[in-house]
Parts: sequence; structure tokens; C-alpha cells
Amino acid sequence: MSGSTGQKLGGETAQAVVDTAAPSTEVASKSPMQLAAGRLRKDKLTLVSLVVVLLFVLAAITAPLAVHFGWIDPLKSALNLTDEFGRPKDKWGGMSMDHPLGIEPGTGRDTMARLWSGVAFSLFIALSATMIAMVLGVVLGIVSGAAGGWIDAIIGRVIDLTLAFPLTLMLLALASTGLIMVEKYLHTPKGNPTAAVYVIVVLGLFGWTGIARIVRGQVLSLREREFVHASTMMGASKFRLYFREILPNLWAPILVTFTLMMPAFVSAEAALAYLGVGVNAPTPTLGNILNESISYADVVPTFFFIPGFTIAAIVVSFNLLGDGIRDALDPKGHQ
Amino acid sequence: MWAYAARRIVIGVMLLLALSLVTFVLFFASPADQARHACGKQCTDEQIAVTEKALGYDKPVLVQWGTFVKGMVTGREFPADPELKKTHPEFITTCDRPCLGYSKTNGVTVNSLIGEAAPISISLAVVAVVIWLVFGVILGIIAAVTKGTIMDRGIVGLTLIIYAFPTFFIGVFFLKFVVVKWGLLSYPQYLSIAEGGVGGWLTNLFLPAFTLALVYLASYVRMTRAFVLESLGEDYIRTARSKGLNSRTVLFKHALRAALTPLVTMTGIDFAGLLGGAIITEQVFAYNGIGKLTVDSANAWDLPTIIGIVVLAGSFVILANIIVDICYALIDPRVRLG
Amino acid sequence: MGKKLKRALAASSALALSLGLVACGGDSGGGGSANNDPGVKGGTLNYLQSFLYESSDPQRIYYGVQLAQWRRTVYRGLVAFPMSEDPVEGTTPVADLATDTGTASEGGKVWKFTLKDGVKWEDGTDITCEDVQYGTSRVFANDVIIGGPNYTLSYIDVKDYPGPYKATPAQQAAFEKAVSCDGKTVTFHFNKPWADFNQAAAGMMMVDPYKKSFDQGDRSKWKVLSNGPYKVEGGNWDKNKGATLVRNENYDPATDNPDQLRKALPDKINWVINGSDTAGELFNDRLIQDAGEDQYAITSARVTPQQLPKVTQEPVKSRYLNVVSPFTDYLVFNHKKLTDPKIREALAVSVNTEGYIKANGGDLVMEHADSIVNPGTAGYKANDAFKGVTDGSGDPEAAKALLKEAGVKMPYAIKLSYPKTPTADKSMAILQESWNKAGFKVTLDGQGDTYYDVIAQPDKDSDLMWAGWGSDWPSMMTVIPPLFDSRPNISKTTCGNDYGCYESDELNAIIDEAANAANVEDQQAKMQEADAFLGSEYAYIPLDNQKFNWLRGSKVTGFTTTPASSSYPELGLIGVSQK
Repeated sequence: MSGSTGQKLGGETAQAVVDTAAPSTEVASKSPMQLAAGRLRKDKLTLVSLVVVLLFVLAAITAPLAVHFGWIDPLKSALNLTDEFGRPKDKWGGMSMDHPLGIEPGTGRDTMARLWSGVAFSLFIALSATMIAMVLGVVLGIVSGAAGGWIDAIIGRVIDLTLAFPLTLMLLALASTGLIMVEKYLHTPKGNPTAAVYVIVVLGLFGWTGIARIVRGQVLSLREREFVHASTMMGASKFRLYFREILPNLWAPILVTFTLMMPAFVSAEAALAYLGVGVNAPTPTLGNILNESISYADVVPTFFFIPGFTIAAIVVSFNLLGDGIRDALDPKGHQ
Repeated sequence: MWAYAARRIVIGVMLLLALSLVTFVLFFASPADQARHACGKQCTDEQIAVTEKALGYDKPVLVQWGTFVKGMVTGREFPADPELKKTHPEFITTCDRPCLGYSKTNGVTVNSLIGEAAPISISLAVVAVVIWLVFGVILGIIAAVTKGTIMDRGIVGLTLIIYAFPTFFIGVFFLKFVVVKWGLLSYPQYLSIAEGGVGGWLTNLFLPAFTLALVYLASYVRMTRAFVLESLGEDYIRTARSKGLNSRTVLFKHALRAALTPLVTMTGIDFAGLLGGAIITEQVFAYNGIGKLTVDSANAWDLPTIIGIVVLAGSFVILANIIVDICYALIDPRVRLG
Repeated sequence: MGKKLKRALAASSALALSLGLVACGGDSGGGGSANNDPGVKGGTLNYLQSFLYESSDPQRIYYGVQLAQWRRTVYRGLVAFPMSEDPVEGTTPVADLATDTGTASEGGKVWKFTLKDGVKWEDGTDITCEDVQYGTSRVFANDVIIGGPNYTLSYIDVKDYPGPYKATPAQQAAFEKAVSCDGKTVTFHFNKPWADFNQAAAGMMMVDPYKKSFDQGDRSKWKVLSNGPYKVEGGNWDKNKGATLVRNENYDPATDNPDQLRKALPDKINWVINGSDTAGELFNDRLIQDAGEDQYAITSARVTPQQLPKVTQEPVKSRYLNVVSPFTDYLVFNHKKLTDPKIREALAVSVNTEGYIKANGGDLVMEHADSIVNPGTAGYKANDAFKGVTDGSGDPEAAKALLKEAGVKMPYAIKLSYPKTPTADKSMAILQESWNKAGFKVTLDGQGDTYYDVIAQPDKDSDLMWAGWGSDWPSMMTVIPPLFDSRPNISKTTCGNDYGCYESDELNAIIDEAANAANVEDQQAKMQEADAFLGSEYAYIPLDNQKFNWLRGSKVTGFTTTPASSSYPELGLIGVSQK
């Protein structure tokens, strides 16, 4: 649910870009990029969220290195740190110099190590799903807008059909079938790679509709522009033309949608983990970590709140960044 | 106009057919042997074959889909076994149209399963919609009129932060802390209006509906704020202001009215989506609505129920879109050209 | 077993449908005690249940705890197990609807029961021999009565019988010859000896009477026509909500054996069902608080490990009970893949059951197992191959030495499959971690609710599979043969309950000797030999015997567990205090 609505929020806010981002490309004296960058520099909130986003990205990139060099080990148990009921012996969820964020009840695994790698896994899943959705959406959007006619109509209906499927329900109900199909057709190794690919592919397959509509709208409005007319007269192939000439003009809505889709997919991964779909334990994803913590919510509260707030921090910072970028691209906009 | 409406409806029906076909094809690739699962532990291969036939899983997927579609139009009988019907007519369950199927796991029609679960999901959706609309619109207006102040930033920021927490985190937080640990509210358990009166119904619904509403609150605050700001900038509002109308009249009489149409549209579509069940909220609060039914039937691999819910949930969304489109067409005839 | 257990019902057990009949109640593991206040008649008991039944039709019921509790309340059998805490007495059937516990002849191929006078259905009509015959015949209708235990199918001496609904007169006549009626006496003719048939009849309901005029096929799935001390108010069981049990005025205690079989103390039992994953925890939270109506409540949901710190302290402790259950968990090797016994031995010597138990919640939730046979089973003996080997944190060096001997490349890749829950994820990760230190590279494969279907497939790629077992009736014969005898299990499409597809003529020969043994002692000795053989082959690794943690409301009397109740609360003894 928070998955689908997450996307919806991304889609809605991004749709506002349709009518606002396009005009900004018309400004002649300074490049729109420079203008936007100038505005961004003055927007402190967006700059802060940019820093936070970069920190999370940095954490994601460094996590495999940290594991590789043995700085952290998200899978190492420490059963001597828990009491006979599995609770951490130390106060505050087992926080200590060795375990600054405490330990996992039952196994004694280090929460910081698990969160650090969890951020990497979750962002990787979100990024991959976003890429699939973006590529699909941009290509189908351009084709739809450029070709018009029955191709446009069919793509429109496919979008309607995709939107009509209850996403969470499909992900849940299809999991066992889906895993087998992924394994069979994509030849992924069994186990977690397959599970990850399944989640990524399904999120991507259901997530492309918003950007496709935006791109289609952009194409329709750009189609009337002079440079397109000019190229057509020079005899360029129609589709090559659209991809080469129009794509560069679409970067603004793509960037904004991208920034807003990432957090939606991070939430979606967490929601799916709660329903038991997704990457298997012991691999830490933010969803897995949070899901494991809920039965300890009142017994070891820190273990419950820390992953929850981490997810929230990622979602908020990406959303603020996306909003900021959009505002910067469109100063006259709604905000 | 009628032609447009008819066209939208025809397309809607075709979408629905496509939706059910895709669902059937996807589930037919299932690795779980449903018949063996149903037959039990010591079943021989022959007994499994009997069970498979009784459940209809021996037929090709297109035939099963055709039977399903036919059942939607004409109704069906379970088991579809003329021999049994002749000897034991009292064994036959009839499933009136639109028949969504028969759940062997539960021993009842999918229609009656959904019929039992629907009031809970609808109640949840209605209360949640009211909560998010009331709070969303009020906060949105406040944010718009105080644009740029701390109040504005606070409202927009806070709702975004709440939105950022996973729904199950918020739900579990309410249950484990607000209810169990601090004892501020009693444990919510669904009571129908018949059982608990309107008061009992509402009290018990509040917590899950509030959890659900928080998911949507942020986007409604932003939307209201944006529309109000936009319409405040429109020429006619400026004119109204310049004519000396006080700002409250301008806000409520003109600006809000303009924001109303898109809000109602969005609400309609979101509400339709929720009728298909709020899976996570119902799961967290143990409400036996359609979302919970979904999870249970997915766990039990109860194919007919899963397919029935997919088709039903999909048709709500398709229907809501048709209604919205037709309403737009009524309001603004230019839409029909697009 | 083709069935799964609701996650809510058991954090790690996979099997609750079997009726384990073997544990003893009142183990002192975590303190607390059985509450043996004799109790008085009257009052209302609240029974809080956190999983959904699959049916209320006697021929389709298969959850062990449902079979046990409903024997005490609505469905009497020809025979039934008494409410004794003694493992031997508690697993020896006594007469219920029948006048005695059945007479066997022809070496166990023919069984005879005579119905008592005055036993009635809730509608006041007599229970007849024909009702027993009809109930037994329904199990054969695989196209209408789907699900439920059907051992009888392979025993009753009739061929090609499609059940009563579609049988030709000739087929029906053949069945009525195999299960014949003579006045009030029903005679079962089997095609092979069934020495412990009366135990099966007591523990399950496949030969329970069913009234023909009440039958509506699949539409009877949730109907209840009682013959016990209670009836279901309204006659229908609500799958998602439960029902209220009230006194059945057509039940005559004089035809029953109330002290041994069912005291039926409360006037009313409110059976409340909530099937959500969190319900069990919630029920126990309510029992911890012990407020209002919950003082009169019991639950079939176990206390969760997270709640144990609270319940093991006063004032809750006096209402708390910790017992060893009849459910044993084990790991079974895929014998099609791990053909080298050295590799299996290496996994066995380095298994970290100590960490596994701790990650599952500690000593109050599980104890070490040293055989696949649960210690409550008659004839149980620790398996020498595992005792002192698999009950610690494992010996990685010994494992590496064995792998070296086997001449395989290290790390040796292993895929470990298990039914996925957050707790199982953690405990399996502990096993994985210690095996990875012992020269293996373990991949975890947590699966959904169709787990047992997947691991029964002959061509699965798992190397090692977690499984749980509780026997269907009280004998070692219901542990080793169903799990390791290749003949009934393995066919082209499935390995049945023999998940590892283990095939050994030697073991099968021992099993045959046990089946033909002249007396119970010899049979038990043979079964111990079979388990020792499995141990020497490293056919499996025993993990744990599950322990159950129960809470009750403060006004509940007679609270204990028995072998017959599979170590769940024994409903037949429970009453509520009127004070």
C-alpha cells in the first residue's frame, strides 16, 4: 500500500512538471541548467537534503567495501551479548563502543553493520527498479507521443491496464510463480539474486506509467516546435529524430521523477518485506531489518525505532531534493 | 456525450477482460500443485487426479478463463458436476452473477467471501477518506494562506515526514505503544454498526483508519495548498480582490471552489483503490477486510479467491476512472476531443 | 505432510495437524505449575484461538489440536483418549460411543465395535451403525470431501469405490460389505493388518459417525451436528470468528465417561477466533493483563518468546505453564544430492544447535533433541550417533577434517531450505554462520506456505531441509516409517513425507520386522534399531523438541495439558471459578 501510494505521490507531484518544466527550456539568455543551479544554491533546505542524500549514497557505495575489508560484518552473531530470553544484556538495546546502534535481539548481530549494508541493498533495489521504470516509461512515452494513432491508443490502454492492477496484491500473490519465472527466463542464480530481481522487475514493470504519461505530454508539445519541424524537413527518420532531438529536452521531468521514484521504491521494498516478499534473510535490506524488529518493538524499542527512522530519513531527503529540483527548474511553479 | 460514455464503458469492459486473462495466465504458471495440496497427505496419484478434475484445474487456462467470464455473466454452479447434481441436488452451491468463483479452501463462493470482507474494507476506506480530506484540506488551506512562513513549512514538512515512515511501522507503533504500553486507546477490533452502534463502529475504526489516512495526508495537503495558491493567482481572483471583497470570501468562495474539482477526482480514484483492500493496514490491525483476505488466500494458495479479488479491485479502479472521465466530459466538452 | 501450519500457530513448528499423543504435561522447565483445582460446573469459558480451522466437518478435520478439543466438546468417537497426564494411560483408548475399545480378529484385519444404547445426535435421533458406515464412506469421495486424513483409503477392503455420492449400487454394496452393519455392531474389514486401528479411531475422526440426511457435501464444510456435551449455537461454525458452544440437551452423560473423557464443566464456551499473525501475541497480552472477561479465558496461542520475560515473573508466573510438546524439529538431508555420508557427518558434527535454540528464544521455547523420536513417545531412546554430538555449538575442525577425508573442495556449497518466518530467518542464519566456519558455504532458502509441497518434489535443489514432526498416534511406528520408509512415500512426482528421498532396503527390512513384531516391546526394540541405523547413516540431524508456554486467566480451573491434547490446554478438564 505504501508502495503503490508511494508511487502515486511520486507520480502526482511529477505530473505537475508537465506544464511547468517545459517552458523553462525556452529561456534563451542563460541555459536553464545554470538558472536552476543558481536557484538551488539559494534553497538551504534542498541543499541540506542533497547532502543527506549524498551521505546515504556514499554509505551505499562504501558498504560493500566496509564488508570486504572487515570493518563491519552484518552476519556475525554474538550470542554472548544476549540474555536467556534473547534480549541484549546492555542497556539501550545493547549500545556500546563496539555496537554504537546496539545489537539485534536473539542473535546479537550488530545493528549499525546491518543498517549500513541494508541501505546499500535497499538503494540498489530502488535504483534498479527506477532505472527499469524510467527506461520503459521514457521509451514508451516517446513512442506513444511521436507515433500517435493506434500505437498511442494501445500504449494508453496498456497504461490503464497496468494502473488497474492492485500492485501490492499482485506482488504478494505472484511471488512463488514469479520467482520461478524469473529464474527460468532471466537465468538468475537461485535464491537471493532471483528474489531481488523479482522485486526489481515487478516494481519496474508497474512503475513506468507515470513517467510515460509525462514524456508523452512533453513530446506532444515539443512536436510543434520549430527545431523538430526543421529536422523533419531534412529527412531524419521519425523515431531517431524523437529520441535524439527530444530526449535531451526531457531531462528536467526525468530528473525530478527519478528523485521522487527512488524513495517510493525504498518504501515499497519495506512494505513487501513486511508481507514476506523479497530478498531473503540473512541479507539485510531496510525492509528485512525493520520487519525483524517489529516483534521487539516494546521490548527493545531502539531496535525498532532506528531502522524506522532510517527509512523515513531516506524517503524525506529524496522527496525534499526532488521538490527542490523541481522548484529550481520552475520558479513560477505552484510552491 | 452518450457516444463518448459508451465508448469509455466498452473500453472499460475490454480492460477488465484483459485484466482477468492476464491474471489467469500469470497464475497458471504456478509451481504449487493445487490439487495435491487440497487432496491431503496420503492421496495416491489417482485420487489427486480426481481432486484436480473436481476443482477444474485439469482444463487448459483459456477454458478456465472462459468459464470464469461466462460465470460473471450468467452465474455458475459448484461443483460443476451434472452427475452429482442429479443424485444430490442439495450439494450444489449456486453462485449468482456476477460470479467471481468458488473458494474450495473456504467452502463458499468468492462472492460471499468478498461480501463478508467488503463492509470492513469499505468502512475503513470511508473513515480514512474523511480523516485525510478534513485534515488534508484544512492543513492545505492553512499552509497556502501562510505561504512561506514557519507554519507553512511546518505543515508541509511534518506531513511529509509522517508519510515517509512505512505504514506497518506506524501501525505497529500505535498498537504496541499507544495501545498496549501506554494504554491510551483500547485495542481496535472491528465492530459492525449493527453490533456496536455508530459509536462502537467509529471508535474501533479510528486507529486503523487514521494510520491509513496518514499515508495519503501529505499528498492531499500539498495538492490543496497548490490548487489554492494557483487559483489565488488567477486573474478573476485578483479581480475579485481588487473589487474589495474581503480575503476570506475570496478564499472560500472562489479559490476553494476551483480546487474542489481536482480534489474530488483524486479522492474518487484513491477511494476506489482502497476498496480493493488496504492490505498492510488490515494485516497490522487484524481486520478481516479484503486486504486481509488477499493475504490469507495468497498464503493458502486459494487461486479462485485471489483472481476474484484482482478482478474486483481492478474493476473498481477502472470504474472510478470512467466516472471521472465522464464527469469531466460533462463539465468540459473539450475533453471529449482529446 | 501436504498441509501447512498457520504461522501464527507456531513460530517454528510446521506440523500441528498431527495429533502428537506423547508428551507429558507439567514439565517444570520454566517454573509455573499445572492448576489442578477440580472445578465446578457452570459459568462461561472464553477460548481464544489465533488460527483458522480448515473445516468443521469431522471427516475433514486434520489439525491435531482441533481433533483433540472437539473430541471433548462436540464430536464423540467410537473410542477416545482419556484426559490422563500419564503417557501410557493417556494414549490408551477407552470406550466412548462404543461399548468397548473394539475387538480385533484375523491378526488385526477385522475390527468390531458395538454402539452404546441411548447415544444421540443433537437433534434427538439415535446414532446408528449406519451413521458410522456413512461417515467412513465419505472419506472416499475425493471429489467432494476434499482434505482431511484418509489413512482408511489404503486399508478398507474395497476396490474402486468413489464414495457414497457417485457409487453404483454394486460399488455401494461392496463397501457395505467391507464396513458392515449388524444391528448396533459395525465391523471393519481391512486388506492388511491394522494393529493400532482403535488408536487411529480415537485420535482422528475419519471413522466418526455422520448423519446421512444432514450431509450436503461441500456445503457441510462449516456445519456441525453435535453428539457431545456441547452444540454449536446456530449449527454453523464461522471460519473467521468462531462460535459459541452451549449445552446439548440431547447429550446424556450416563452414556459417557465424564471423569475420563470430558467433564464439560462450563455451561458455555465462547470460541473466539482471530486468524491474524499478531493475534496470538495479542491474546497473551490480554491474559497477562488478566482484566474482566479475560480472567475466564484460555488460549491455544503460545506465549511468544518476547513475552516470556513478563510471564516468568509474579504475578503472572502462577498462571503460566511450560511443557515439552510432542513436536520435534529436525534437518533432513537430500539423499539424492548429498550421497557421501562423510559430508553429512561433517554437517552433523558442526551443527550449532545451541545458537539455534538461543536465536529461537532460548531454553523455555526449545530443548535439545537427540533423536527424531520425541522423548514423550513410548519406547523413546536417545540416538547414540547424535547424543553429545549435535547438542552443542558444533565442532568446525572435526567437520573440516571429515570434508578433507571426503576429498571435496572447500568451501562446500550447501543450500538450506526452511519455512520463512522472522525467527526462522535468524536461527537459520546462526546455523549458516557456524557451518560457514566449518568448511561449508551455506545459502539460505526461506520459503512461503507451500514449503512442504516444494521440498517433497524429487528434483528440488535443496541439500538440507528443516522439518517438524509430531506423530499421528502414539507409537514410534508413526515416526520413522512415515518419514523414512521409501515404499509408501516415493513415487514419480513426490517423495511424500520422506523429504530427503531416502531409500534404504536395509531400513525397510527393519521396519517390516517391526510391523510384524509379536508384541509392543519387540516392536519398540526394532524401532530403536531403525533409529540407530538412521543415525549411523546420518540420514537426518535432530534439532530440538519444542516447548509450549501457556497462560490462563485467573478464574480458570483445572488447567493442564495431556498427551491427548498434544500438550495444548486440555479442554475436557477446564472449568471456570464462580467465586
